[in-house]
Amino acid sequence: MKLKYLYIAILSIFLLSTTVALQTNEVADTYKLLSKKSSYTAGDAIKLQFSFTGNTDVHLYCSNSYGSVVLNPDINSSKFHFSIPQSISKKSGILNWQLISDKTELKGQVTIKSKTSIETIESYLGPPSIEVGGTDFTMLVVIPTDDLDNPLIDSTKVDIKHQFLFNQEASDVYTKHGFSYKNIYSKTKSGRILISSESLGLNSKEYDVNVVPAIPTNFKISAERIHDYADGNQITTFKTNIIKDRYENIVSDGTFVTFFITNKDGYKSKTSGSTINGIATAKLLQPDHEDQWSVKAYVEGMANSNTIVLDYKQAVEDFEVTFSKDKRTITIGPLKSFMNQRVPDGLRVQLTISKNGIIEDQSIENSLNGIAKFHLNPDRFPKGIYKLEFTAAGITKTYTKVAYE
Amino acid sequence: MKNTSNKYLITALLIGIAFHGTSIFFTLETTYDALIHLFFADHYAMSWFEPWNYKWYTGFTVMSYPPLVHQSIAALSLIGGLKFGMFTVALIGVVLFITGIYRFALLMTSNRIVAGYAAILAVFSSSFVETLHIFGQLPSIIGISVLMHALPEIYLWLKTGKKSYLATSLSLIAVTVTSHHVTPIFGMIFFIFPLIGMVIMDASRDSIGSIKAVTFKVFLNTFFKLFKRIISFGMLSLVIIIGCILPYWINSKNNPITQVPIPHGSRDNFLEITSSGLVFFLIPWGILLIVLPYIFYRYYSKRYLFFGLSLTILFVLGTGGTTPIPRLVLGETAFNILTLDRFTLWASIMSLPLFGEFVYRFVEGDLKTLIQAKFGAVYHRIAGGVLAGLFLFMTIFAMSLSYFKPSQPQQIKMLPIVNFLNQDQHDQWRYMTLGFGDQMAWLSAQTNAMSVDGNYHSARRLPELTTRPIERLENSKFKGVEGIGSLQQFLTTPEKYNFKYIFSNDKFYDPILYYCGWQRLRQLENGIMVWEKLNVPPLSSILPKEDVSTWQKILWGIVPFLTVLVAFILNIQLPLVRSLKTKSKITPAYLNFKNNYNQFSRGVLKLTHIWSIILALIICYGAYLFYIKNESHHSPENAIIAYYDALDFKAFEKAHSLINPKSDLPIAQYMLEISVTDGLLSSYAKLDAITTEIISQTDNLASLKVYTDWITPLEKIKKTDYKTVVKIAGKWYIEPEDIDLDLPPDQLYSSNTTNYFNQGRRRITTEQTHHEDVLKQPVLEILSAKLVKFENHYAIVGEVQNIDNVPSDVVLKGTLYNDDNKFLATYNAKYHLKHKLMPKEVSSFRINFEGIAWSKTQDSIPKTFNPDEFTPIEFEEQPTKFNLQAAGNVSGSDLFKSTTANITTIDDSYISGTLFNGGTEEVTIPQLLVSYYDENKTLVWVDHLFVKEGIRQQRLQSFKYPLLTNESIRIINNDMTNCFVNGLPNENIADKIVSDRILNHNNEELQTIDHPIFKFVKLEINTYIGNPN
Repeated sequence: MKLKYLYIAILSIFLLSTTVALQTNEVADTYKLLSKKSSYTAGDAIKLQFSFTGNTDVHLYCSNSYGSVVLNPDINSSKFHFSIPQSISKKSGILNWQLISDKTELKGQVTIKSKTSIETIESYLGPPSIEVGGTDFTMLVVIPTDDLDNPLIDSTKVDIKHQFLFNQEASDVYTKHGFSYKNIYSKTKSGRILISSESLGLNSKEYDVNVVPAIPTNFKISAERIHDYADGNQITTFKTNIIKDRYENIVSDGTFVTFFITNKDGYKSKTSGSTINGIATAKLLQPDHEDQWSVKAYVEGMANSNTIVLDYKQAVEDFEVTFSKDKRTITIGPLKSFMNQRVPDGLRVQLTISKNGIIEDQSIENSLNGIAKFHLNPDRFPKGIYKLEFTAAGITKTYTKVAYE
Repeated sequence: MKNTSNKYLITALLIGIAFHGTSIFFTLETTYDALIHLFFADHYAMSWFEPWNYKWYTGFTVMSYPPLVHQSIAALSLIGGLKFGMFTVALIGVVLFITGIYRFALLMTSNRIVAGYAAILAVFSSSFVETLHIFGQLPSIIGISVLMHALPEIYLWLKTGKKSYLATSLSLIAVTVTSHHVTPIFGMIFFIFPLIGMVIMDASRDSIGSIKAVTFKVFLNTFFKLFKRIISFGMLSLVIIIGCILPYWINSKNNPITQVPIPHGSRDNFLEITSSGLVFFLIPWGILLIVLPYIFYRYYSKRYLFFGLSLTILFVLGTGGTTPIPRLVLGETAFNILTLDRFTLWASIMSLPLFGEFVYRFVEGDLKTLIQAKFGAVYHRIAGGVLAGLFLFMTIFAMSLSYFKPSQPQQIKMLPIVNFLNQDQHDQWRYMTLGFGDQMAWLSAQTNAMSVDGNYHSARRLPELTTRPIERLENSKFKGVEGIGSLQQFLTTPEKYNFKYIFSNDKFYDPILYYCGWQRLRQLENGIMVWEKLNVPPLSSILPKEDVSTWQKILWGIVPFLTVLVAFILNIQLPLVRSLKTKSKITPAYLNFKNNYNQFSRGVLKLTHIWSIILALIICYGAYLFYIKNESHHSPENAIIAYYDALDFKAFEKAHSLINPKSDLPIAQYMLEISVTDGLLSSYAKLDAITTEIISQTDNLASLKVYTDWITPLEKIKKTDYKTVVKIAGKWYIEPEDIDLDLPPDQLYSSNTTNYFNQGRRRITTEQTHHEDVLKQPVLEILSAKLVKFENHYAIVGEVQNIDNVPSDVVLKGTLYNDDNKFLATYNAKYHLKHKLMPKEVSSFRINFEGIAWSKTQDSIPKTFNPDEFTPIEFEEQPTKFNLQAAGNVSGSDLFKSTTANITTIDDSYISGTLFNGGTEEVTIPQLLVSYYDENKTLVWVDHLFVKEGIRQQRLQSFKYPLLTNESIRIINNDMTNCFVNGLPNENIADKIVSDRILNHNNEELQTIDHPIFKFVKLEINTYIGNPN
């Protein structure tokens, strides 16, 4: 047991003595930057040279807009130097460096300037469509760059040109923080603006911006129909006049116009159309009974039309109801239209069957050759007294006491 | 004994390979499971040691299934492709199965000829044919086959105590467990326990000389004598079972299966659902049913007693829900997780040795002698012919089942889809397939793109999936309403899953895609329609995964093949070397227990006869019932049901054959009438239930009330029809219905519309779209938005307008917060929005906040569910604020707006009117959006109605909309400060374009209604065009 403590003691002494020894051995390391040049042109080889005494276990940490890198030195007796790699040295901007050693922290900066000759023009434009009226604008950003993709030095002149209708304009802007920009405002006409730029004799490609019309203004509507009889078959077409914005531009194709139709009972119908060359067209089937429509169209929240009133004359004046022997087959018609012609197939005849004041069934039959037929199934409608109501073309005929066996 | 090769076994192998080897090329790819295993194999082929797979279910781990079979296919795929690997493994499975049956039969009967017979019968065994060619369960087949190879080794270890047998048996158990985890666990219970019993019997017999003298006491004594061997084997195999696929067990423990059980046909009552009875009982048992008395008689003899018990349990468990016993025995949970067909498979496999014995005795043994003596040689031949005929019939029937009743859609050419996904960075988004069946796994194996869906339901992770009893979204229509309900949640909020493309092979889903805001992109050359959703961000380049430690990955990657290698060395190589060296052959111990095939029991023969007659009677009665139920002209009900079935399956010729032949309706006219009807009900509905009620019936005439439930992709429809049925020449027919007589006014007419085309990338390049080709997002304006509480759920309602000059696709996303700005829920607008808006068009909208349906308890799943219903999210706290994000994207599709709505009458409960189609497209499904306003003309609620019938051009369609009743409704918040359009504040963007908006512009155009709460309504129409011109 005692022996163990002895070992530990000896070991501790040994360890302590070596640490002390290490401490006493230390000599102060010194490093000094020899390179005096602090400004380079992009693409130039950059070498940072240092003189040193002491430890050579050093690294150079470099960082610029492109990224960071840690370099090893090339050592040559009392000096060493670092070669900055191409990937870093070809980027313009500030290159920060820092010498990493055990003790000393030496740091500095190198400025890398872009080349003076232009290689490309980088340009961005957006948004690609703007509204007329002079408040909406699109922005062109132009970055003249050298062959290493560095933006040219600030205050490089950029000529931004644009063409709209019969005008062509050019304006000079100067780069700042590496780029130049210009806001191009819309005029009062819709159309397309073509835009390009030039710098140091180099021209960009063509850009275009669509100037779209502003919101529509109030408009007028009209209706077209084959005849003014309520035959429930022909179609009435509603049309707007050419809808324009407040600068007299025709609104964009596809502008959605909703037509609201109110009939004399106060029920609403709704049809819609989208504009082509400013004119929206909408269709609606004519009523099957005498009616009056008042029609108004809207582009919601923006514009509306006048109200027009359309009258529809009764086409079917009256119809006959014929019961079969067992009263279960009922023939409606012949249904005759305004020239006493049979109504076109498909006039809707509705039958409402009620018993003791409760509606049992409602069925709709379409006319064929002017005639509509109902058949009351004895299983559905067993023995009893029923009230039958036939409605066609707005005319209702009621049979209050129809007895079935 | 001279050891010659068994010619029966050789024959069985040759026939087996020829028979199965040729037919797998026609069957395996259309089975349920094979392609799933192929997908797993593809995973291992790509990354052997990395268990995480991103392609399905937003990522899952392949450690959820034992890897051996998949890894074997993967290894073989390096030689000749994935399918080569799959077919090769299937062939290996066939060989292993036949030899396995041979060895098992030899062990049981100690007779090489009998074992040879069993091997030949195994080739054609209907349960094996079904498992391989219909189900495609490769791992299960390999597992059970290897287990059968293990049985003789286990016997020998227990009997002789030689350590080498312990090693061989354990090595085979290891292979079994790495190919299929369930097989060794249940194999322990149903095969190895009875085997242990048999060994004890044999050992007892050895000790006292005669099987008859074995008493329970002797048995118990022997058991204690062998106890050490039994327990050592048991413990070691447990270690093997756990150790070899340890990562699997760890994964199962970490991700326990908490899913709602998926219904499986094997749990049905086979008497009620006869199709399940056929597939899961009749086919696997096949001809074995006839010899059941013999099999039970033999297995209940003293030596096999424990096999008899095991077989009985297997038989009963295999009957599924027919009797309550399986549910009682297994318990509710196990009953709902396990597929019970495997018990029948094992029972039939267990019966094969004795079936071989029966056939041997019948063909050349004592049974032949007995029958010939009793009934004569001719009877023997006829009986043999009948048995052989039935046996082959069952085999052929099982083999061609998928021909008669295809379980999969037609084979789809995947190349166009794979190409589509590879083009244009389409694989940067997730996709989904619809109506592909199990072929989706094959697509997944071929592409790098990821799917939201998947085909291995145990690995599902998203709660949207695990809370539903659906295997995959892909075939959700077959899962009825739960399926569609789940699908629509994915369709409504696809951004959540970076889910942009859908490949649809089934037009059934088209309406739901449209109404959830998806648009058709184009049809690929294989006929698959591609749908896309706008405004979905691409997948991030780093996706989350659940990593496991490296030792697990290494274990998982190495152990399965290692087990095969060890098993190969121990079972084949060593004995081979030994036999080459020594030339002497030891007879295995089990060959000493020969059976006596001299005296076939007369009682059993009699019993078999009686049993056969009973079986024949049952089958005849079943066939009669089947005929009565399915003969369409037999009764009025049959005629109606057959007619609706025919309509449901679009078998119009069949439907026409049920129409009164005297009604003067030629098939041409009938087909024409069918072809012009379109709509939700006639084109997209699936008949869910039908009941008929006879109102009156005479000898020749009957009136029926037919109640039908239809499942459509959008909602469930209940319909009541009145049908008249007449009897002509003893057959019942249906009277045809009237057709629409309406004649449109114009023969030919024109219509002008504005069409749009987006070039996309103007330059053909694989680079990212150049900035100048990116269109500006159309500017929308949220005109109004408010948070309302309707009954007991919350919704955001309002109106949105496209104030730009180009048509826009609209995505609305609402988020709810409480007073402390705590996030509560987020959801997108689904049906209550016109997703495509023309310039300046307005749409009302409503955002429902759907919870993950039925996430709370399993029993709250409604028996009948309407796809249109949803489970409102459960809020822990009161939502008081909302955030609404509207996103517009230029879209030129689905801009048909030529439908008009006319109100004709309004009463207390209905708005009736007509819809008129004035355009040139046929409207397939019209939808009415009904906005309700209060007395101040403030929008308070938005409702919808899908009109069941379509509208042809220039024709009318009537509608009847039921007004809401007196529901309680309360506006909670109408502060619109948190409304944003394309990420910018709504107010600023609106001011810029429509600075002097006319407020409440068309207020006077609202329809007045007489209602206690709501005073005005507004109708809007949204139309789905099924077949754009």
